[in-house]
Amino acid sequence: MNDPLLTALVDARNPDGGWPTVKPGPSTTEVTSLAVMALAAASDPTLGSEIAGGRRWLLSQQQSDGGWPSARPVTESSWMTAPAVLALSTDASSRSAAIQGGRWLLEREGRGLPWYARVWFWMYPQSRTSNLDTELKGWPWSAGTFSWVEPTAYALLALKKVRPALPASRIQARIEQGERLIYDRVCPGGGWNYGNTRVLGESLAPYADTTAVALMAVHDREPREEARRGLRVLEEVMRDVRSGLALGWASLCFDLYGLSSAPWRTRLREQYGQTRFLGKIKPLALAVLALHDGARMVRG
Amino acid sequence: MTSRRSFLRATLATPLLLASGACGRSSRWQSGAFRKPATSRVAILAAASYTGPLVDTILDGLKLCGVQVQDRRVVLKPNLVEFDPASPINTHPAVVAAAIDAFRTRGAREVVVAEGPGHRRDTEQILLASGLHDVLRERRVRFVDLNEDQVVGLSLQSDFTGLGRLYLPETAVKADLLVSMPKLKMHHWAGVTLSLKNMFGVVPGSVYGWPKNALHWAGIDQSIVDINSTLPAARFAIVDGIVGMEGNGPIQGRARPARVLIFGEDMVAVDATAARVMQVEPSKVPHLAQAGEFLGNVAADRIAQAGVAVDSVWQDFAVIEAFRHLKHG
Repeated sequence: MNDPLLTALVDARNPDGGWPTVKPGPSTTEVTSLAVMALAAASDPTLGSEIAGGRRWLLSQQQSDGGWPSARPVTESSWMTAPAVLALSTDASSRSAAIQGGRWLLEREGRGLPWYARVWFWMYPQSRTSNLDTELKGWPWSAGTFSWVEPTAYALLALKKVRPALPASRIQARIEQGERLIYDRVCPGGGWNYGNTRVLGESLAPYADTTAVALMAVHDREPREEARRGLRVLEEVMRDVRSGLALGWASLCFDLYGLSSAPWRTRLREQYGQTRFLGKIKPLALAVLALHDGARMVRG
Repeated sequence: MTSRRSFLRATLATPLLLASGACGRSSRWQSGAFRKPATSRVAILAAASYTGPLVDTILDGLKLCGVQVQDRRVVLKPNLVEFDPASPINTHPAVVAAAIDAFRTRGAREVVVAEGPGHRRDTEQILLASGLHDVLRERRVRFVDLNEDQVVGLSLQSDFTGLGRLYLPETAVKADLLVSMPKLKMHHWAGVTLSLKNMFGVVPGSVYGWPKNALHWAGIDQSIVDINSTLPAARFAIVDGIVGMEGNGPIQGRARPARVLIFGEDMVAVDATAARVMQVEPSKVPHLAQAGEFLGNVAADRIAQAGVAVDSVWQDFAVIEAFRHLKHG
């Protein structure tokens, strides 16, 4: 284990087996999930106990409804169920937990407009401030709120990993609608912002990390024009980006689409050398995942 | 079709407003739980540019407002939204740098900078691109991403949202002095975004997402009031009005220099004064009107103004059509 990023990720592990967002801090579902996937991608036989410990921590956090909360003291199942499903779906010992998480995701959906808002916009169509199809149901960040790009993308990636174990018609419908939502949220110039495309008539600019995650969610489909344009936009946006988070997601995304990620991997290592990703563990886990061909871990 | 739509507009508009919760409820806070000051001190100090003697200006502001700093753990909460080199979206790093130096000079036990951007997860990129990371590194100041901080569940101390309870980050909850450092900006949903609205940034994205959409569903104005009534830490505000934003803020508006920093312990009074600097009538801003009932002072005759007079620095900040009614006169 002579990769400094891999060593740093192992060293960032908490005594309880999980990983925090920064040290010191409590273990969180999202970072632990990405760390488990990253260590598994590294295929280093000396890391077996760290991977197993991470999986055990994740299993210990699963709620009775099948979902995962973000971190203690929160107990409500959350959007972080999707990365937990991704992390646990590839190992036989934890796959049944991943399938339960998949069932929870199947039942979770974003909220549409309330009835009075629908009537209002029918009466005053000019008062609509966005052109989104609010009837499409993807996945929300928190219960009772709209669907947004990133939790929808995460959920799509997770459900595609456990698809064979879930009711075929239901999962097919949710995946198709989730993908339609992803395409509905494309920015006017291509790529993805957090979920809106325009505000008060002004176009929103795409973000690198959101664009990469959205593209990853539809990677298994024949690329539509929006996806091809999104890949071009991602490459453009990445010229000005220095964060480990965006570089990690972009590397994984280009790998999934069979495009060269070599320049982004090089920049990942350089950036880590310069900033240590400001001490954040999530970009570190993403970097290790990307540098060890981790795209296969999320492929549907 | 059009005539049927017109008929329904005439008959349904009022019931729809009622159903949407736009009309008020009574008694949304416990009388006795809050003590609004009889008068509030607010200082407006001239600051011509970001390269001027900002540390001295902030030290003057702290002194004029009489804020206690010695041995306190101070958490500075700037407004970081996203970075566009051509637009004054964020609290300028030079103001944050000067605040760090000023609070240390006044004997703060520790100064921490903390923020949880509202719709961008990539805080790392915003810090690097905005130049704030360089400021923090040079001064060896810790940054806490409030979106990912350890959280505690708190019962809301007022009930404008009906949420009852929120998870909030420990760094903000346990601060000895929580300093809101907003940019002087118009906001396309809330009218203005100042020290009270800036506290949206303490709500953790790890629980509520990017954007913090649960707060939008509960009502932006209502959420601003409930968050501010609930945060237990002592508060102070420093508004970066050296260059503000008019029009379609908080991101896509135009730069508007006002060349001031605004200080105070009563954040409602600070925001009311900052609104007046933008020639906005604060009592017409819903969250200021609501907060002014129990958290602090909005009325000009309840604000002891120090420094330069409002009408010597005020600027006619442009507003979007929906907020034309907020303007003076």
